[in-house]
Amino acid sequence: MRKFRMLALGASVLVLFGACSTGGGGKPTLKIGSDGFDEARVVAEVYAQVLEKNGYTVDRAGIGLGTRDATNAALFSGQIDMKPEYIGSGAAKLGGQKTSDPAKNQQELQRVLNDKAITVFGYTPGEDTNALVVKKATADQYHLSKWSDLTPIATQLKWGLATDCKTSPVCAGALKDAYGIDYAQLQVTPLDACSADMDSALQNDTVQVAELCSTGPEILVNGWVLLEDDKKTQPADAIAPIIRNDWLAKTDKAAVQGILDPVSAKIDTATLADLYKQVSVDKKDIKDVARAWLSAQGFLPAAS
Amino acid sequence: MDLVVAIARWLSDPAHWQGTEGIAARLGEHLLLAAAALAIAGVIGLGAGIRIGHTGRGANVAVNLANLGRALPTLAVMAIVVPITAGIDSELGFKVYPAIIGLVVLAVPPILVNAYTGISGVDRDMVEAGRAAGMTEGQVLRSVELPLAAPVIFTGLRSATSQVIATATLAAIFGGPGLGRFLVDGYAQLDYPQMWAGVILVAALFAVVELAFALLQRAITSPGVNSGYVLASPDHRSGTVRGEAA
Repeated sequence: MRKFRMLALGASVLVLFGACSTGGGGKPTLKIGSDGFDEARVVAEVYAQVLEKNGYTVDRAGIGLGTRDATNAALFSGQIDMKPEYIGSGAAKLGGQKTSDPAKNQQELQRVLNDKAITVFGYTPGEDTNALVVKKATADQYHLSKWSDLTPIATQLKWGLATDCKTSPVCAGALKDAYGIDYAQLQVTPLDACSADMDSALQNDTVQVAELCSTGPEILVNGWVLLEDDKKTQPADAIAPIIRNDWLAKTDKAAVQGILDPVSAKIDTATLADLYKQVSVDKKDIKDVARAWLSAQGFLPAAS
Repeated sequence: MDLVVAIARWLSDPAHWQGTEGIAARLGEHLLLAAAALAIAGVIGLGAGIRIGHTGRGANVAVNLANLGRALPTLAVMAIVVPITAGIDSELGFKVYPAIIGLVVLAVPPILVNAYTGISGVDRDMVEAGRAAGMTEGQVLRSVELPLAAPVIFTGLRSATSQVIATATLAAIFGGPGLGRFLVDGYAQLDYPQMWAGVILVAALFAVVELAFALLQRAITSPGVNSGYVLASPDHRSGTVRGEAA
């Protein structure tokens, strides 16, 4: 009898011990999500692979989910635990101040995410901003080099803007407040920003002004003209992983940050543009692209 | 519950019904898109299906080709044709033509297969009796085969129309017109009332069209002919006909 009791005690201690270890320092499955375009997807994949290398299980179902509205909703509701976020636009979306200083944007994003119980990790030196792009012929015809040049002829042009532009403070809001361009007066073709469809629409003259990502490889490849945002409306969009606190509480937060921050620190603007190009233009497999880069940087063993 | 109220409020806001981006305009675009696709698919599907059903020639090729069309996702068809049509017309070739072509590919199979099955399923004795009575081939087709096959042919049209009404929402993905705009924009903007209003509008349109078809079908079917009498009854959903192989 006594022996039995000892056993029971031992077992319950073991159970408690086990519970503690999964509570604080375990490696629970991480559900990663991202915006729908290739750059966001490949950065999410980079984070996913480096976490897998360190023993975490990753659920990729949310990668390429859609617009910021969609990924935010998924993150805030716990359908995903983490996504790479463009810190300036991300902060602005939630009512934060956006600036051209990424450090301030990171603080601001953390501030607006505090009540959502979400933590912002270190950001990349690389930046990608929302860009308005025209073909060379259009730029020459209307003498366009900066966004202000668009104001007087805005209603004559055909615009390709993001499907969420109408309600976005950095899109329709910025156009109106800084440039006096009223979204409601424009001929807009709503398409996914930075998507192949948007490229195709500009390529085929369905639109003349297209909202693309500044790192978008198609701009260089096609010799398109990236107009200068002369009123500085678009935030400095470095990328940082943002993660739900309830997931971090189940693991060793410092260790996770220790895995992700060094990776982010290596992603400069040229890297972003290159990863983006390999996926979007060269049509390479997103996992191969991420693995090759991580290997080259020494985060993963060299490919066999 | 809040969502239901929000949807009702969205739908009852007069501002959402007016203007170039209002419900009335989008509904008109949607119907135009569907009608254009169905008109083209009708010419192709009925023309080929009736001819094949009457002559019995090329049935295998046509029916297999139609079934291949059925296996192609509309979105894939659109993505494939965009670069081609956009090169021809920068505006409609990007936003409208790919959707019409995708919808035609979707609508031809049920129309063609039902037309073929309807015509070829008419009792051969009746066709021969017509010929024996001195009817020309055209008269046999018009006076014997078409009236008897009408219910099955009609079911193919009805099935195609339902599918086209629902699938025409895809046009919005390529920046196109129609009720799909509410779905795509509502999702992108996380404006669920707008998105659900779009869903409800498409469903309502679908119901109205189905009802109209049911009444029309009753009106045009010759007295004494009904789908239970002449032929194996068609499986309405998929547009295939049970017993087709036999």
